[in-house]
Amino acid sequence: MDVLKKAFKKSIWVFHLSTAGCNNCDIEVLELLTPRYDVERFGIKLVGSPRHADALLVCGAVNAHAKPRLLEVYRQTPKPCLVVAFGSCGCSSGIFRDSYSIVGPVDKVLREEDPDVKIVYIPGCPPKPEAMIEGIVMGLGAI
Amino acid sequence: MSKEVMKDLREKLKGKIIDIVQPRKKRIYIRVEPKKAPEVIEYLFFKYKCKFCTATGMDIREGIEIIYHLAREDKNMVINVKTLVPYPNLEIKSIGKKIPAFRWVEREINEMLGVTFIGHPDMRRLLLADSFPKGKYPLRKDFKHSDVNDEDYDYERSGL
Repeated sequence: MDVLKKAFKKSIWVFHLSTAGCNNCDIEVLELLTPRYDVERFGIKLVGSPRHADALLVCGAVNAHAKPRLLEVYRQTPKPCLVVAFGSCGCSSGIFRDSYSIVGPVDKVLREEDPDVKIVYIPGCPPKPEAMIEGIVMGLGAI
Repeated sequence: MSKEVMKDLREKLKGKIIDIVQPRKKRIYIRVEPKKAPEVIEYLFFKYKCKFCTATGMDIREGIEIIYHLAREDKNMVINVKTLVPYPNLEIKSIGKKIPAFRWVEREINEMLGVTFIGHPDMRRLLLADSFPKGKYPLRKDFKHSDVNDEDYDYERSGL
């Protein structure tokens, strides 16, 4: 496990998953990859499969259609993994809280599957790129 | 020009409608019984050169009011056909059977408000999740968020 933890400190690969978000957060994630912030210089990189990922970046309040899909992606991610509840909706369902199709924020849904899941909350609509980098760094510190 | 349309419609639709009013220059409201609605709309669509824009449903306590929005483009007019489907027997004949453009909006009204469209060829869900509990209609006035709990969802049906 110590080897895993040591490896986890470097070059975080992120799988970006949108669970019924409004795409505002998804667009802001792209800003991290522009030359101004360029997170790839830290080795943070978006990957195409959850099986390659160290961290899941989950945007949006989870609705009934996305819930089984989010759980399936979480099961496929190698452990230990970091989950980033991204944006106001990911943290608390935001303004969609009392909507008929919403089944809960990211943490509530994932804790049903795995009570010890490590979640970083990055609030904001959308969060600033600095906040996103800090959030990931804080999450790594916690592990 | 709009007066001609009113006069014409009054003559042609005599006996099929409850009333017809013109609140503004470019708009006509027609109120019909639910049984006569398909007949009136098919007349407007096929014979009267109207184009179908959309249909809306709303819970107005006594029943579900469905408004079919049709447009007559060469006269610059919008014609709204209103019909009230009373509780508790929410049934109306499907127009989508003859005019395919009505099918999706009828599916949406069916899942959101619980109106059954008799004769609709494909009455699956359109917008709601497949796991959403059956028999709950989220756009009705008496629906509350707490009516649907996580246990009510059937994730077996969600296609995964």
